[in-house]
Amino acid sequence: MLNLLKVTGSSLSPSYQEGDFVVVTKIPLFLLHLKPGDTLVFRHPDYGTLIKQIDRLIPEKGEIYVVGTNEFSVDSRRFGPITKADIIGKVIWHIKRPRGEKKE
Amino acid sequence: MIYKLLEALDQTFGFDQAKAHCDIPCGIYDPIASQIAALTVVRMIDLMTDLEKNRPEAHVAFINSMARYIAVKEEHAEKAKHEVRVIWGDYLKQQQLEKYPDAHALVHKIMQLGSKVRQTADRETAVQFVEAINQFAQIFWETKGVTTKRAKAPYKPELELVYPNL
Repeated sequence: MLNLLKVTGSSLSPSYQEGDFVVVTKIPLFLLHLKPGDTLVFRHPDYGTLIKQIDRLIPEKGEIYVVGTNEFSVDSRRFGPITKADIIGKVIWHIKRPRGEKKE
Repeated sequence: MIYKLLEALDQTFGFDQAKAHCDIPCGIYDPIASQIAALTVVRMIDLMTDLEKNRPEAHVAFINSMARYIAVKEEHAEKAKHEVRVIWGDYLKQQQLEKYPDAHALVHKIMQLGSKVRQTADRETAVQFVEAINQFAQIFWETKGVTTKRAKAPYKPELELVYPNL
């Protein structure tokens, strides 16, 4: 029901940074009213487990377009929409790595 | 506080990772850069051997040329390794790796040979380095559905390279 993951990469910077932790849930209640701006963790066949924000939803087709906030993000602009079945969870808690503290 | 706790737990248990995957989606990958770099290593070893045989009168001239050849050999061995790592790490995906289960071992072999050609001036090792990267290039082109051919590079040391039939 709940899943804790560590963020790597920087396509959601500056809000999400390398080393942050996120708690995601797959409880249906939370997935019922997905809206643009929500952050999802999902599985992609080529890229593995990804974290992106919802850009837009097309409920009739069950399509969810996800994007990063960084111009070089690899997301739906490259691999197309995802579906609910791909979703590992919606981020309900974001634990930021203390900023200004160097990693390693 | 919570972060520190999670960080400590992560170091012990290793949580799954969610990638905010990001790169310039140019999709430009080509093993030729690594092949040419490996060929350069062989060429430098040949030049070093030649210089040893035909030493210039001034010792300083000998040292100067030798140092330059070694520097280029070092640089290109690393460049070849880097280029292979990029294709292996960024381009090759799980499905392709399932089709080429030996790819990991091959890449590891390339890394090891790449270090060995820096440590020594052994031509045979450098030729093996070129050949291992040729095999890697062949796998790369196969994943793209492109057939390959083997042809001698049109410049010294004129070793065979794997080229795509484009």
